[in-house]
Amino acid sequence: MRFGDPRPDGRAIVYAQIQADPLVARAAALLADATSTQRLLARATMNGESTDPEAWRTMFPALFGPAAPPPGDPARDRSEAILGVSLQVADRGEQARSQFRGAIVEALAEQLLAARTGPVRRERRILFDGVPSEIHPYDVTVEREAAAEAWDCKWGARGVKADVLHQLDDARRNATAEGARLLVGLVVFDARRSCEVRLVRERGPVALEGLKLVTLEGLDRLAGRKPA
Amino acid sequence: MPIPVAILVERALAGLDVLAATAEAVDDEWQYVTDLGTVWRARLGALKEARGAETAPDGAEAALDALVAEAGRIEDPHRAIDWLSTFPQVTLAALGEAS
Repeated sequence: MRFGDPRPDGRAIVYAQIQADPLVARAAALLADATSTQRLLARATMNGESTDPEAWRTMFPALFGPAAPPPGDPARDRSEAILGVSLQVADRGEQARSQFRGAIVEALAEQLLAARTGPVRRERRILFDGVPSEIHPYDVTVEREAAAEAWDCKWGARGVKADVLHQLDDARRNATAEGARLLVGLVVFDARRSCEVRLVRERGPVALEGLKLVTLEGLDRLAGRKPA
Repeated sequence: MPIPVAILVERALAGLDVLAATAEAVDDEWQYVTDLGTVWRARLGALKEARGAETAPDGAEAALDALVAEAGRIEDPHRAIDWLSTFPQVTLAALGEAS
């Protein structure tokens, strides 16, 4: 088993520009140390229609209400900053916002994984002897020989599809056949409950025993820490 | 004026119904939309059962009103599918519950 760069194609070149946008890095940095409720604020706002920050503050009394940390408190400042970048993403238009959201989840996963282990890489293929290489690269990989990992990242549960599960499952099986250790998983910026509904619908004959599922509520597990 | 959790859960369930009706326009996802609605209605129903008589936390009523209004603005059925998951999570957070 070895890791390699995918062949560059048009989609990758366009998407690389999104991935390199400073807004993606800023959002990921804020979300890496956020609470689950702050991450939910980001999800809702980036998915939403309203561009009025006050409407979102009202929807999240735990972050902005009378009992929330006061302005000037680092937790409150982070909530405000997350709201600000999320509204910037929402303001990009439907197609762009979808790409930004995906890139943000990938960058977030990369940051969280890097807090626990490494080396962490993006957009990499996994190659096995005698096995045709997969078309789609993995979003984030940990290329540690003794304990490699491959993660696909999704903005929402709806992004979990059978082909994604098959690719992860195949990689795990091929690694096992070569006597290598490979942890495979999905990082989904959505509720675990919704992801489980999706998995039941999509998994078909794919065995999920070896698939890790990390959802919005438990993203800190990627960093090897308990939820903030 | 204090308001019980049960009333706010009822409002949330009505908001969820509106989203589900919008999302059902995506034929390929009909079963997923149905299943998603079922599990989240059950979660909100369980909350109502457990804490319905309690007074809702400060800010929860305004939060739910704003959230239901936001759900009502969703016209795109694909976005409504995303919101079918997001909406109940925000509802639970406003009422001081984990997902």
